[in-house]
Amino acid sequence: MPDDWDKDVYPQPPRRTPAVEKETAFPNPALIVTKLFHYSVDLPVSTFRGWVDRLHERNKFYYYHQQFRRVPDMTECQLGDYLCYYEAEMQWRRDHKVDQEIVKVVQERLRACQQREGNSYQQNCAKEMQQFTEVSQAYQSRYGDLGAYGSARKCLMKQKHRMIEERQKQTAEA
Amino acid sequence: MVGMSVLRSAAAFAARLNPLKHGVSKGNILSGTVPRTENVTVRFGSHGKQMFVIKPTEYYDKRFLRLLRYYILLTGIPVAVFLTYVNIFIGEAELSEIPEGYVPEHWEYHKHPITRWIARNLYDPPEKNYEKMMALIQMETEKAEMRLTEQDVRKMMRTKGDGPWFHLETMDKSLIDYSPKSTPDN
Repeated sequence: MPDDWDKDVYPQPPRRTPAVEKETAFPNPALIVTKLFHYSVDLPVSTFRGWVDRLHERNKFYYYHQQFRRVPDMTECQLGDYLCYYEAEMQWRRDHKVDQEIVKVVQERLRACQQREGNSYQQNCAKEMQQFTEVSQAYQSRYGDLGAYGSARKCLMKQKHRMIEERQKQTAEA
Repeated sequence: MVGMSVLRSAAAFAARLNPLKHGVSKGNILSGTVPRTENVTVRFGSHGKQMFVIKPTEYYDKRFLRLLRYYILLTGIPVAVFLTYVNIFIGEAELSEIPEGYVPEHWEYHKHPITRWIARNLYDPPEKNYEKMMALIQMETEKAEMRLTEQDVRKMMRTKGDGPWFHLETMDKSLIDYSPKSTPDN
């Protein structure tokens, strides 16, 4: 788990630890504390984790992410074809969940960037910021105010109203 | 029994020895005096004089907490031991890509071994629920279609009058006796 993240998306900041130049004979208390922590907590926990991992290596079993087939959308269903409606609704719900997770991932990236950059996050995180604003605006326009009982049908109606407004705006400008 | 009589005689001797007849006391036996016990500052090595503190009973509260702990731990400890065993010796599943041409079972989409076991032995596969729902929807659509067509047919037959539904049974025409009205003079 700790070494599994994507190093391009969450880059590690450059290390700024200075070279140690000891000027006194006084022992460094920070060093003492870190060594103490290492030998009393880190080593036992890491050896235990190593032992448990070796146990798990022997009999491994896997889990997969389920791939769902794409079914015809709500726009491609005949009127009154309730089976098609049901499948389209289930697909829409799965896509809704996926989109929620996408927003969460982008949010997490922005948060990590802010944590990494510290006080200069407004300049250095421009890319993540722009990505986040795009994704959240897209999510808001598609799934935004559907409410707790949102369904594929309501989402479609929302899209229809959005397109009507766009067309009205175009005709008003022209 | 002999020891008792020896002790008793020794106590009588000690009492006779003491001029104040108080039993053997800490006083100086040679000088025959007894120390006064009222004005002496005594320093105990313990927490002081033992007091009898009067407070309301804690029995019922302690009993409640004791029983609470007992009944929680009665199943809590076996469950904790079981979970520790499962998490250490069996461990969670690892994520991997679906191999080519392999269709995983529905329990192989879960990570923790206990969830996998429950999904395998206790729950129905989600595909079964999906298909059951679709079957119900199919039946209901068929019923709805049937009802709509029945309404249509009723309306048509009633208005057009040529279907079998709005016919009333009449008697056989051959049984009618036309003799009363067969000639103009009857």
